[in-house]
Amino acid sequence: MKECIKVSKLLSRYLDKEASCADNLLIEAHLDKCLSCKKELLELSRIKELVLGKERKTLPQDYLVCRLRQNIADERCIIKQGLSWLSGIGDFSRKIIPVPVAVIVISLVFMILTSKQQLTEYSLEEHVLSGAQTTTETALGVMLGVLN
Amino acid sequence: MNEDSFYVRQFLTGEKDGFEILVKKYQDRVLNIVYSIIRQDRESEDIMQEAFLKVYRNLRYFKERSKFSTWLYRIVVNTVYDFLRKRRNFISNEDILEMRAATCEGPRDTLLTREKEAMIQEALLGIPLKFRAALVLKDIEGLSYIEISEVLRCSIGTVESRIFRARQFLKEGLLKLTGELR
Repeated sequence: MKECIKVSKLLSRYLDKEASCADNLLIEAHLDKCLSCKKELLELSRIKELVLGKERKTLPQDYLVCRLRQNIADERCIIKQGLSWLSGIGDFSRKIIPVPVAVIVISLVFMILTSKQQLTEYSLEEHVLSGAQTTTETALGVMLGVLN
Repeated sequence: MNEDSFYVRQFLTGEKDGFEILVKKYQDRVLNIVYSIIRQDRESEDIMQEAFLKVYRNLRYFKERSKFSTWLYRIVVNTVYDFLRKRRNFISNEDILEMRAATCEGPRDTLLTREKEAMIQEALLGIPLKFRAALVLKDIEGLSYIEISEVLRCSIGTVESRIFRARQFLKEGLLKLTGELR
């Protein structure tokens, strides 16, 4: 019975001619004396035959090639259109875009500097309110962000 | 250098013919793999086309560490998985009715063949996807266990157990549909 379980697991591999030589010997010796495993093998081989005998589909030789050519040509066309649109934007940007970009950059720098100053002022105030000893050195440290 | 590598290199040096020859060589095999997994004509062709487009776009990254066919089948199986992920309920009632209607057309001898075909296909669809993919690569495409393990990126032991389980499912499915293994 134990051998049946072992062999039945190997039958599929045996049927596909993928079993090792040692497994082949074991399976064949077992099949000689076990009718139920022999029946199992017959059923498996019948199933394999059914799938193997399944009708195969075929396409005309150039069918897919034509579809692919069309698809690839369409894709290229879209990419080209995309690039021409980008190059149009490029011409435009050379003349107009630097001005708003510069304004945005300057605004960002100003905002960062202002927020940093507010933060250090608040930190210094907080330091004084905390009752800790405030010397020129600690005040400078807090303002420069070296000390908390 | 094998034939496929030759055409791959031809394509990479700028000759589009190399790619087209590979498409012609593999189109039917790919179609049968896809159709056996999802069983839908139009969708199978679309998936096949999508897979070959992926090959076209990525062929320059193919480093020939595996055979071209293994690389191609991996792309095909992944494209099928993507398709099924997007369309989880891919077996609609309409599809089943359509398939059954197809079995009722034509003379009696072809009717029997079509009926048998439809039954096998229906039983195949009853197998969980990962087991079905392994079985299709083995029995429809005739790949070895090593090649299947490369396509599905799993161990040979896993391939073996998936094929074994797939056949058990198929057996149960056919028994349910026909009452016996014809």
